[in-house]
Amino acid sequence: MRAETLKGHLDGLLLSSLEAGPRHGYAIMEALRSGSGGQFDLPTGTVYPALRRLERAGLIEGTWSQEGGRQRRVYELTSAGRRTLTAERGSWQQFSAAVTALLQPAPRPATP
Amino acid sequence: MTGNPAVEAYLHAAADSMPGPRRERSDILAELRSGLLDAIDAHRATGLQGHAATEAAITEFGNPRQVASAFRPHLAMIQARHTAVALTATGPLVGLLWAAAAVASHITLRHAPPWQWPGAPPLSAAAFPAIAAALLILITSTVITIAATGKLSRWLPASPRIAAAAAATAGFTAVAADLAILALLASQLASAPGTLDPIPVAAATTASLTRLTLARRAARSCLAVRATLT
Repeated sequence: MRAETLKGHLDGLLLSSLEAGPRHGYAIMEALRSGSGGQFDLPTGTVYPALRRLERAGLIEGTWSQEGGRQRRVYELTSAGRRTLTAERGSWQQFSAAVTALLQPAPRPATP
Repeated sequence: MTGNPAVEAYLHAAADSMPGPRRERSDILAELRSGLLDAIDAHRATGLQGHAATEAAITEFGNPRQVASAFRPHLAMIQARHTAVALTATGPLVGLLWAAAAVASHITLRHAPPWQWPGAPPLSAAAFPAIAAALLILITSTVITIAATGKLSRWLPASPRIAAAAAATAGFTAVAADLAILALLASQLASAPGTLDPIPVAAATTASLTRLTLARRAARSCLAVRATLT
């Protein structure tokens, strides 16, 4: 899937990938890739700017930690991030339900 | 350092097109380095050997210049924020030092406003409203910058170009305010040198000169970062 198609939803997807617990950047990327069955294959380097932006907005918090012999920046949802994720999820469900309903093939008119 | 020349070359290429505050840049590069090493490990786990794993990781990350340019809006926001925070932290101190200098020079005990003192320089009547206007612009642009670049950006999605412009405005206005007050001081010293208390006036002058230099540099950095945004 092209990066532009994903753009408006990337924030919600990143927040969602942290819902189960803290993760570092590469693990977030792998979660997006495997969680979408390989559909979301962004250049990995572009996930990091999005994480910095979310951190600046106070939705996630990054801290450096030593993990398996390597320094990694580990991100965690803040309570504002959790609230935003809930809101984002709700509006996506409404939107996708509406699109699904509209894209249903119309029933064929009954032949007289 | 990773000891992996291809990774270091990638980071070097990214760093070259990434202007902004030094500490934030090096933190970002450290994060990219650790991510690239994770990616190399992941590719090794799928069976790629040595250099092939590194190549695959670098391809996966994407063009380093493109990655760097994706960071530029964030770096502009951080540059703007640092400038605004520094101005907020130093502004009251500079103001207090000038107030102390005024009190020590018994300016507050005189019954006439400063521009009516004996020997008041001709432009001093204009300097005070100019300083007041500068302070108003300075405070407004600082507040805008801080709101646009921090947690409030969730509700106020401002563009990094606007944030950097607001921060640069705040910086240059601080420079203008310092220059105006120093000009006023110079003309007062020239026309009536005995009316001022030298030590507090020297302290306030030093503070203003220091702030002026730093504010000018910060404002120019904001403009430089802003110029790299497309």
